[in-house]
Amino acid sequence: MRPLDEKETSVVFEKLFKFVGNNLKNIVENPSHEGPDANPGRYCFRLHKNRIFYASESLVKRATNVARPNLVSLGTCIGKYTHGGSFHLTVQALNLLAANAKHKVWLKPQSEMSFLYGNHVLKSALGRITDNIAAGDGVVVFSMADVPLGFGVAAKSTQDCRKLDPNGIVVLHQADVGEYLRMEDEL
Amino acid sequence: MGKKKQKIVLPPELPPEIPEDEVEVSDDDLRFIKENRSYASLLSTLDTHSITKHVTRVADAKDDALEKFYEKRMQKRALKKEKEETGLQVDRADALPIKTLDGKLHYRTATKTVSENDLSEEGTAEDVNVDEGMVKLTKAEKRAKLKKMKKEAKKQGKEVAKTEVEDTPQAAVLAEIKEDLTAEEAFESKKCKLAELGSALLTDPESNIKLLKEMVQISKDNNHTIVKLGLLSLLAVFKDIIPGYRIRLPTEKELEMKVSKTVRKMRYYESTLLSAYKVYLQRLMALENKPLFQHVAVRCICSLLDANPHFNFRESLLDATVRNISSTNEAIRKLCCSTIKSLFTNEGKHGGEVTLEAVRLIADHVKAHNCQFHPDSVDVFLSLSFNEDLLKYEKKEEDQKLKNKNSKKRKNLEASNQLVENERKKSRQESISKTREEVEADYKAASFAPDVMERREMQTATLSAVFETYFRILKHTMQSIGVRPEANAGALSTAVEPLPLLAPCLKGLAKFSHLIDLDFMGDLMNHLKSLASGSSYSGNTADKCSKCLTVSERLQCCIVAFKVMRNNLDALNVDLQDFFIHLYNLVLEYKPGRDQGEVLAEALKIMLCDDKQHDMQKTAAFIKRLATISLCVGSADSMAALVTVKNLLQKNVKCRNLLENDIGGGSVSGTIPKYLPYSTDPNLSGALASVLWELNLLSSHYHPAISTLASGISSMSTAHNQVLLSKTSPQLAYKEMSLDQELCFTQQSGNIKLNNKRRRTNGPATSPSIGSTTVLSSFDDNELQRKLISHFMVHHDIKENERLRKELDRTALSLQLYEQYKKQKKQKKRS
Repeated sequence: MRPLDEKETSVVFEKLFKFVGNNLKNIVENPSHEGPDANPGRYCFRLHKNRIFYASESLVKRATNVARPNLVSLGTCIGKYTHGGSFHLTVQALNLLAANAKHKVWLKPQSEMSFLYGNHVLKSALGRITDNIAAGDGVVVFSMADVPLGFGVAAKSTQDCRKLDPNGIVVLHQADVGEYLRMEDEL
Repeated sequence: MGKKKQKIVLPPELPPEIPEDEVEVSDDDLRFIKENRSYASLLSTLDTHSITKHVTRVADAKDDALEKFYEKRMQKRALKKEKEETGLQVDRADALPIKTLDGKLHYRTATKTVSENDLSEEGTAEDVNVDEGMVKLTKAEKRAKLKKMKKEAKKQGKEVAKTEVEDTPQAAVLAEIKEDLTAEEAFESKKCKLAELGSALLTDPESNIKLLKEMVQISKDNNHTIVKLGLLSLLAVFKDIIPGYRIRLPTEKELEMKVSKTVRKMRYYESTLLSAYKVYLQRLMALENKPLFQHVAVRCICSLLDANPHFNFRESLLDATVRNISSTNEAIRKLCCSTIKSLFTNEGKHGGEVTLEAVRLIADHVKAHNCQFHPDSVDVFLSLSFNEDLLKYEKKEEDQKLKNKNSKKRKNLEASNQLVENERKKSRQESISKTREEVEADYKAASFAPDVMERREMQTATLSAVFETYFRILKHTMQSIGVRPEANAGALSTAVEPLPLLAPCLKGLAKFSHLIDLDFMGDLMNHLKSLASGSSYSGNTADKCSKCLTVSERLQCCIVAFKVMRNNLDALNVDLQDFFIHLYNLVLEYKPGRDQGEVLAEALKIMLCDDKQHDMQKTAAFIKRLATISLCVGSADSMAALVTVKNLLQKNVKCRNLLENDIGGGSVSGTIPKYLPYSTDPNLSGALASVLWELNLLSSHYHPAISTLASGISSMSTAHNQVLLSKTSPQLAYKEMSLDQELCFTQQSGNIKLNNKRRRTNGPATSPSIGSTTVLSSFDDNELQRKLISHFMVHHDIKENERLRKELDRTALSLQLYEQYKKQKKQKKRS
């Protein structure tokens, strides 16, 4: 377990920024009320075994007591480095993203299942969409009851969505809560 | 004796123009009359009838009452005749001849009687005579204008030699009379003339068309009132006689051709009308720049344009109207605006062409004046109407075309099957289709039915001009906002550029939002967003910048954005997050006195009440903030806010956690464990972790309606099985309350007492049932009407009272002043 170096930090932050925009500040400066300290600490990012963890400072301090090979996980895992060296957000980051999301898409109830099986979001599945999404932005996918279902990358801007035919892809799938069942072992 | 005095006085007035021999004769006459009074009457009558040189002297001499009587009678008769003859302008010489005692017939000429009357008036100085003289004189004036005609008449009536001799002196007398005429008399005469000409034109425009020129001439008079009257009467005439078509002057070729009499007559009529109209318009345009005539000229232009938007020269009329549309003069501006509006609404009169021109002109003006214009000028666009049926029609046509194509293809296929054996048939078909096309074209040219395609094109052009204007205004606003912070930073004294056009522009955008092209929408939304934000994100300068646009304007921006979205959204439900954020922050900036409560109520209704789904966090944040705000604004505003809160709570069951008694919100509160009242983003405020304590305070609000509503809301979570309550919009609630506030405050105080009593009897802290809320918040129209009526009655009384009081004060003050003045005067005298 170690803090991220500069390059890693920029990669992680850029990825997060795509989803949360200026709310990235909230993620970084979020006060944590864990631990015995009276004054709240902060949350921080840690790299451990190719995975990025988001944990409160007090937790990190306590985790130092565990030997590196023995430590499996701490705080919330938000992403991992692939073998190719690129950074991917994992589905565990969903809560963090959903709370601070800038671009959102709401799915119609009948098409929720399709997304949870790992399919892309089609235009016909759209219940609602925030305006001024640009192509390539990170989008958090919600059910109509405001339950976060997953996230992905916008394939089309909001403007283009209007003219899109119902079978066009709006959001490219990256992660969804269905993975907790489908890919239990990998997580 | 007095009469004699008059005689002595009179002679010096006349002599200068009268030759010497005449003077001698008149002296003889005088002597004669003095000597033989009994003959005087005979002589005088003789004299008056036969126009001799000394006519005037004799007229002076007559002092018999009988003579006067006769004279008066004759004048009256003459007057009557004149009246009968007005319009026709028959010369007096054509009137009844008079037979003298010696049996000769004498034809009276106008000039003679005139001079006679004049003199008699001067001589006797009687009131009756004066009046009559006035009228006569005015007519005489006209005569002077028609001198040539009179001369001819005289020649007919009398021996040529005599008239020739008399001509010069009479002319001289006339000139003098003319000079003597007071301005008032001239004015009267011209007025009459105008009336005569006008009525003549109206009765038979075709034969009297020449008179138009005369009227135009009169309107070029030096006298202001005459000019004004002339312009107005010309306006009335033109309005009446302008034909329902556009006049095209015949070309030279056509002129050369032989035409029937009626056609020639018609042509003459039309060309005269047109030229007179042109001169008239030029005159109007010239006068429009003079402050004295501006109002009249503009009025003429406007009503001409309104009445005949199809006629020639409408471009110049339109130009003048649009030029004055943002005039600083209130009356002129109103006039122009109403004209343009009526142009827009009565498109049938001109088939939409003028609308397009007007819109383009206004757009150009807005461009030229750099958006510094009176808002009325853009408000005009609101009365434009676009016919959406045209679009549908076109689609149908396209479908038909497609079908036709298909059928043609089919036919072609069949034909190819049959081989190309019959070329002759083909050529025949071609010729048939050709002739058909020609006939169709002819029919189109002849028929008056407006061409659908043309109209569609026109509408598109109009629409694009309108939106061009709107976008220009928006852009200008953006730029000025962008510039302003720097200016403020540099020098606070720099004059803040007003943005007068923004409000009507936003209104118009909201109205035509369904017609905006999807391609523009993105830009439009971006503009609106930055306007609504008022660049409040730019750190320290936020306070300065927010001065650029008032809160109401920014709220209006939000409303427009929502309307645009809603009207254009067919399948896609777009969530305007940014605008919610702006609204969330604007609610805090809202100040009841300064900003318009109606706009806030409208924004609440459109943005919060009408939307079906909301994020939980966002809704909770809005509920919390609105409840907080309703604590510190007037009863009307807080009522609107509370109605919204109730509406939101009804729709979002989860948000009723706010009504629970424990802080923290449990699992729904999300990642933010604590409520942040100052957060700018409703999604991050963590409002779900808070409790709506405000309702507790509000339920003891001084206003009974609010207190009952608040307690109704607070008991919402316990009463699960409630029927959906009345859905009053915040707007309605606001209106109702703001009326209430002024209206029946006395009643309210009574109600409060009653409420308190009830509470005491019911035991502590039993909140009124929800039923009462529904009763209070559901309004039926009759009730509202009744309240409105009584409200306006009271208002009227108050105004009246105020006015009377003011008057009283003023009089008292003036009396006081007068007394002081008196005192001072006395003191001065003493000193």
